[in-house]
Amino acid sequence: MNDQWTNRLSEYVDGELDSTERATLEAHLATCGHCYATLGELRQVVARAQSLSNSEPESDLWPDIHARLTQDAARLTPGRRPGVSRRFSFSVPQLLAASIALVLLSGGGAWLALESRQSTPAPTVASAPRTRITREATWTGRTDVAIADLQTALTQNESRLDTATVRIVRQNLAIIDRAIADARIALQKDPGNAYLNLHLANTMRRKVELLRRVNDMAAARS
Amino acid sequence: MFATLAAAMLVALAPQRQSDTTFAVPAGASLSVNNFGGGIIVHGWSENRVKVHGETGRRGRVEVSLVGNTVVIKTGSREGAPSVIDLEITVPQTMALTLSGTYADITVDGVQGAISAETVNGEIDVRGGKGIVTLHSIQGGVTLADASGRIEVNSVNEDVELSNITGEIKVETTNGEVSLTGIKSSSVDAGTINGDVLYEGTVTDGGSYSLGSHNGDITVSVPEGANVTITAATANGDIDASFPLPMTSGVGKHRKTFKIGSGSARMELESFQGDIELRRPQELRDRVDRKHRDHDEHENDNDNSTRFNLHFNLNNVATYAARYAKAYAPKYAQAYAPVYARSYARAYSRGYRHLQTSPDTTSH
Repeated sequence: MNDQWTNRLSEYVDGELDSTERATLEAHLATCGHCYATLGELRQVVARAQSLSNSEPESDLWPDIHARLTQDAARLTPGRRPGVSRRFSFSVPQLLAASIALVLLSGGGAWLALESRQSTPAPTVASAPRTRITREATWTGRTDVAIADLQTALTQNESRLDTATVRIVRQNLAIIDRAIADARIALQKDPGNAYLNLHLANTMRRKVELLRRVNDMAAARS
Repeated sequence: MFATLAAAMLVALAPQRQSDTTFAVPAGASLSVNNFGGGIIVHGWSENRVKVHGETGRRGRVEVSLVGNTVVIKTGSREGAPSVIDLEITVPQTMALTLSGTYADITVDGVQGAISAETVNGEIDVRGGKGIVTLHSIQGGVTLADASGRIEVNSVNEDVELSNITGEIKVETTNGEVSLTGIKSSSVDAGTINGDVLYEGTVTDGGSYSLGSHNGDITVSVPEGANVTITAATANGDIDASFPLPMTSGVGKHRKTFKIGSGSARMELESFQGDIELRRPQELRDRVDRKHRDHDEHENDNDNSTRFNLHFNLNNVATYAARYAKAYAPKYAQAYAPVYARSYARAYSRGYRHLQTSPDTTSH
């Protein structure tokens, strides 16, 4: 569900609305659970993005970007002035996917380092989820893929951990899996429920974070 | 000067079973400790020196060195499997700490610097800390008190308890409760899968509070005069408040939004299976006090039962038997007498009738 305000939420977060629009949107937020939930997710994404460390790109990307910008500028409609910043709007699933992707990208360093030391060639964290993210149709599908990748890595790396820790981790992953199953069953009955979507995304994010932590821990002990 | 200090500080505390070393540290020095198994206890003191006490056993060893501006303490074993070593370290109060272990309990007291503590199988108990405080355990409870700054606390399989904290808070566990009391924060993010979440603290204008669980109740204090928009959502639980709430909107029974005052702070509460309770701060403080009292009494009961077991002998058994017989005999007599009286009366009356009517009896 989208309304006239959904697409303005990112402007609101960035402080780009004038005082009248801001007041009107805040009044709307008080009565629209959908926009309120979307705003919460948007804020989480922004916070996570801000917490990422800056890293240098592997190659100079500017020439390609410049070329694309030039092409885009040439295609601009007459009503659109060059230089006006483009507004981005996000749907709830897009925001959830972005949130989980940021978790993966921000925390996969040690896992990546560990994986790259494996003797058999394996897809790297940086490339595999990105390419898959573009292919998959739904955010849950993308997250399932990411989780499957992390679980595969954990299976390969858990020999670095003692058996008691592995047992505890597996028990807790099973707890999260049950929670995910609960949320999915509830969503099947009520697919449009924003709260249930949010809950499922949060629970899947927890699983990603736990897997990432344990993989990092295993990497530290290699 | 520091090069000389570094050379002088390279200390190997072995092969004695325990050893102490104390040395001065440069201003702004930090501490890094890695101990595979045992304990890491850190105290803060007002001196500009570090004191290291190690209980190493026969095979263990402790290495202390200065790397750059960091005092590095590592433990190891001279042979075979890693040793269990207990470290007790006293540091300048403002020293930043990085503590890690695998089978290690970590305790910190009286330090007012940044603290990073991570263990796999062990408890973490920290009192103090300022700046960035991050505490992680997989299999072990984590407790943090009297800290301020940017706080991040994780466990996986145990409870997390924070009290008297000021600053930005992020707390997470999977199979355990989350308890946040005496909190002064404008940013709180706390969640678990299996367990209750409790928040007792400030609700600051413009602040952001997110508390969630899958299988647990969410209980939150809302101070009078707070300006907050609360969104409470539950799939299978109830939403309840101990004070009147002006409901702004609601989607069915299980998702409601309440705007209190100007509503400038945002509070998101969600539990899939559990209830969501909004309470006044004093109610929650009373509840927490009761819980602590019950816990203490339970601990005392356990202590008493332990003492009983320790002093178990026949004289005690006789004493207890006499005491309980005296206490319970009248009660049982009172309770069972009517029952047994009726039962015996029926049995004897049947037997008496039988005696009256049987040929053998009549023949006598």
